[in-house]
Amino acid sequence: MTEQEALHQRFNKVWRNLPGWGTLAAVNHTSVGRRFMLTGAIFFLIGGLLALLIRMQLALPGQEFLNPDVYSQVFTMHGTVMMFLFAIPILEGAAIYLIPKMIGARDLIFPRLGALGYYCYLFGGIIVISSLLLGMAPSSGWFMYTPLSSTEFSPGPGSDFWLLGITFVEISSVSAGIELVVAILRSRTPGMTLSKMPIFCWYILVTALMIVFGFPPLILASILLELERAAGMPFFDVAAGGDPVLWQHLFWLFGHPEVYIIFLPAAGIVSTILPVFTGRPLVGYRWVVMAVILTGFISFGLWAHHMFTVGIPQLAQAFFSMASMLVAIPTAIQVFAWLATLWAGRVVYSLPMLWVFGFLFVFVLGGLTGVMLAMVPFNWQVHDTHFVVAHLHYVLVGGMLFPLIGGLYYWLPHFSGRMPSERLGRWGFGLVFVGFNATFFLMHLTGLLGMPRRVDTYETGFGWDWLNMLSSVGSFVIAMGVAIIIIDVLLHFRFGRKAGNNPWNADTLEWTTGTPPTMYNFASLPEINSRHPLWDNPELLQSIPAGEHGLTQIEHGRRETFGTDAITGKLKEVMLLPTNSWLPLLVASSLAVVCISLLTRSYLAAVVITIVAAIFLFRWSWENGGHPLAAPLGDKEPVEAPLQSRTLDGSGLWGMVITLLADGALFLALLFGWLYLWAVAPNWTLPDESLVSLPVMAWSGAFLTFATWWYCRAVKQLKAGDDTGLQTRFWVVTAAGAIHLVLLVGVTLVSPLAITELAHDAVLLVMLMFLIFHSSISVIATALQALRVRYGYVSKELPYEPVVLQPLWLFSLATFWCSVASFLLLPIAWGAA
Amino acid sequence: MKTLRAHPLHLFAGPLLWAIWYVVLYSGQALGCETAPPPANAGVWTWLNGLLLLHTLVFAVVLLYLTWLAHRSTPAESGNGRFILKVSTGVYLVATIAVLAIGLQSVIYPPCV
Amino acid sequence: MDIKSIAKVTGAATVLLLSGCSGAFSTLDPAGPAAGSVLPLTLAMIIVALAVFVGLIVLCVFAVRRNSKDISDAEVQRLQNRWIIAGGIALPTVAITTLLAFGIPIGHSLLPLPFQEGEVMRVDVKARQWFWRVSYPERKIELTDEIHIPVNTPVDFHITSEDVIHSFWAPRLGGKIDAIPGRTNVVRLEADEVGEYRGLCTEYCGQGHTAMQFKVIAHSAEDFEEWLLQQEDSDKND
Repeated sequence: MTEQEALHQRFNKVWRNLPGWGTLAAVNHTSVGRRFMLTGAIFFLIGGLLALLIRMQLALPGQEFLNPDVYSQVFTMHGTVMMFLFAIPILEGAAIYLIPKMIGARDLIFPRLGALGYYCYLFGGIIVISSLLLGMAPSSGWFMYTPLSSTEFSPGPGSDFWLLGITFVEISSVSAGIELVVAILRSRTPGMTLSKMPIFCWYILVTALMIVFGFPPLILASILLELERAAGMPFFDVAAGGDPVLWQHLFWLFGHPEVYIIFLPAAGIVSTILPVFTGRPLVGYRWVVMAVILTGFISFGLWAHHMFTVGIPQLAQAFFSMASMLVAIPTAIQVFAWLATLWAGRVVYSLPMLWVFGFLFVFVLGGLTGVMLAMVPFNWQVHDTHFVVAHLHYVLVGGMLFPLIGGLYYWLPHFSGRMPSERLGRWGFGLVFVGFNATFFLMHLTGLLGMPRRVDTYETGFGWDWLNMLSSVGSFVIAMGVAIIIIDVLLHFRFGRKAGNNPWNADTLEWTTGTPPTMYNFASLPEINSRHPLWDNPELLQSIPAGEHGLTQIEHGRRETFGTDAITGKLKEVMLLPTNSWLPLLVASSLAVVCISLLTRSYLAAVVITIVAAIFLFRWSWENGGHPLAAPLGDKEPVEAPLQSRTLDGSGLWGMVITLLADGALFLALLFGWLYLWAVAPNWTLPDESLVSLPVMAWSGAFLTFATWWYCRAVKQLKAGDDTGLQTRFWVVTAAGAIHLVLLVGVTLVSPLAITELAHDAVLLVMLMFLIFHSSISVIATALQALRVRYGYVSKELPYEPVVLQPLWLFSLATFWCSVASFLLLPIAWGAA
Repeated sequence: MKTLRAHPLHLFAGPLLWAIWYVVLYSGQALGCETAPPPANAGVWTWLNGLLLLHTLVFAVVLLYLTWLAHRSTPAESGNGRFILKVSTGVYLVATIAVLAIGLQSVIYPPCV
Repeated sequence: MDIKSIAKVTGAATVLLLSGCSGAFSTLDPAGPAAGSVLPLTLAMIIVALAVFVGLIVLCVFAVRRNSKDISDAEVQRLQNRWIIAGGIALPTVAITTLLAFGIPIGHSLLPLPFQEGEVMRVDVKARQWFWRVSYPERKIELTDEIHIPVNTPVDFHITSEDVIHSFWAPRLGGKIDAIPGRTNVVRLEADEVGEYRGLCTEYCGQGHTAMQFKVIAHSAEDFEEWLLQQEDSDKND
């Protein structure tokens, strides 16, 4: 056995998944990422079959192949599956798989969170799909507009399946988003400054942050609608002072960024592949970074362009119209950066490049019709016609599926160590490309000829017949192409020729992890001084697996990777990564049971299982820091840098802050809903005096303020290296927080809120529940901290955790007083003025 | 002479300001039309359009100033810092353009129709 | 191929194209000023979009074909700035400005602003699953799925809904507007010629969505007056 093999054996023993069923306890990002992508691909096939059903129904006028009920379920599920169960998860899966390998880390920062995300996605997806098999799928469109999706007009459980299942999947998306942000910022290999990151990481960083801010509005909207359906709280009911258009705002506040959340990672794949096959670094790296950042922001300012026909004043429409057109600038910057790269380099025609060319062709066309649709008078004509269907498929299939399959072919040798068949691959591309354009190009004309969306059939004689026939034929050509690609991929595992280590002569670090990759990615973590490490320093391919770089000790049996400064990439600490764990599966399973109990309206069971899930989660948080299952003090400390549980600025703090950003976005969405209903809803009524006792709220807030202040003082002392009396201080904070919580719960229970009659009261209840939820977590977590001090898991040598909890207290405090000011005091002040 | 340090905040401060401006613009327009809508045939020159325009110009001037500062501070930095300031300059510039392009619509349309 | 046959082919193609553009729901065959003012915008945008598209594809093919000898980094730097500033910033800015120069006046002309003198004729439309209830204020006329209007007269349609969200669209007359419970939206439409125009619901509103269609019947001024009298007579007789 060579030295390198021995090293591999030692690392593999620590990093491998458990054998047999134990593989379900895997937390490793390579396993989790693969599972995400495989599951996403299966959902893609399901969504594709639904699309074929739609096209069969519309192939000829006056068909009754599907009845209107089934048809509505089919088109709703097609959109839902493709958007929520395919596009986002599969791209997240790709990011989860690739990002640590590109930035030179051995795993993602929060491996258990990644595994939890996968199981939430899997179970949520199964719940949503099962509705289809039970014949009770949601049927009011993937956008679920109220009041069509409300109990009155959708009495069956279809909407509940959507709301609960998709929210479950969104938990997974948000957790992956948080994990990716922190991983990219804090676990790059030493020397990789922001400006030396592979361009793909910039795309994923921005995308992940967009997920963090973009998903909470939809999560809130789903919670509100489910509360309306299950408990009769009338947020979207005009008669009770709600407004159905609030749903549209919240939905598109998520829905438009979502389009870019899907597009950006795919564009990142293009920006990664193009330089490899032109042999030139990406032209205009800085410009592209700038464009990506701008896209991330501007895409949040376009949501109302889905709502040009709801009767918003023209001036407001003009704002959104202009913002929609402006997003063409960052997109055009990227397109011209790609063209300039093609110009400067020498193009190698290979399968991934074919898909990149297909992407450019299709996506540019979709972008151009997008600018057309931003034009308000034109939008009034073609909105909700097949013109929009054509546009969105050009943007989403062109902007996401084409780069994704390009990426699949590019990284296939990395997954399997074998090359795909060039001939089959070309056939697959040709059929998908031709079929796609046959299906959707003339569909623009179908729309201009007035064919609306979501009709289950149509009469003959409007000029729509041959266009629909053509689209249907085209859709089956796409299906053939997809089938060939699947065959190609399946066959290559058996017949593909061996790929070798870096078959495309790529520039990024993931190609040094072996083909197929080892479970620990890198036996040694290199110092990086270049944006294109493998081009400038090809010997890394040998020296990394040979263990010639950093962090090679493994005898302690811990999974470790380097933690570095977010900006400069300077080495700061050694991060301890958790090993295989059943907790993610247990938590996700119990949440799935909660989901099913809510669906079957057995609320008592739901409450009990929620408590079980919470216990699992707190157990999860228990196995950290100085816990014997983590890294107790004095257990073969690393030599390069301190273990992060011995530091103050660890990844947990970053994870907490990013989570609170998502949480804050949810709170802002709630605040927006409140102010929106107040300003716009025709039957909104404010009571003459506050329904919630202000003195009690003031007392409750006083205790919360004290608890937070005392907690911050304790942390300050701990940071100064003094842990005397720490446990007592935490108990004092727990007690003060508990009093605050009791007062808050009490005031919620005694307030005379007519939650089923008035939207106003219903929103107040949601606000109070939000506060109770956050305060409870703060209090319980602090009590656990006090216990951990007692057991010696937290001390001045192990100061990591109290620092993590501090932002949560500050967040609870800020949202509490913000809520008091805007939900309770502002109406009084307004009434007095 | 005032210069900017190469803080990563500058990478997104421009669009962040844009976002704040945008929220105020949109909600200001909506609230203005809810509480005291100018008559439909009053045309463009109403108090509401005036306020929106003023709001736009203030933000545009601030963003333009930041663009200029970032641009001027670039040569002093090197490596990662230079990268941050160069990208920031572009980001500030496009944020300025976005504020102007969107905000100037308020001299074209009547506010509440 | 001689000139005659080219002319024949072109002629045939034009006829085919024009006949392909007509249809009871075609936005390409406008019959009123609202739809009529959008059509040139549509065509202009299609032409500009196609021109940009073809330009980009040609550029892409050219860039791929060029198969350069090694260019120096300085040249790439120049290339980058030139291409990205010209293509990434200038091109969209110019294209957007041109579009707006076309689009803003059209947007203005579609606004339902009050008239200088007199009142605009008003028709109330209430959408329900799955039909349209039409009424004329101050007259006791109630119709279902059928709207009668005088020709060459702007009519303000006041649209609302009594249950879920629908959307009111008569493509040959003009753009659509949503019917939302609790709100009333106004769209101003006008028919250029006497005749029957079809309309439909474009916001998915449940299983009867497909069948939720209506007709707008434009009468000459005299015929319309007569129709009004007739309707009110029959109302009295009931």
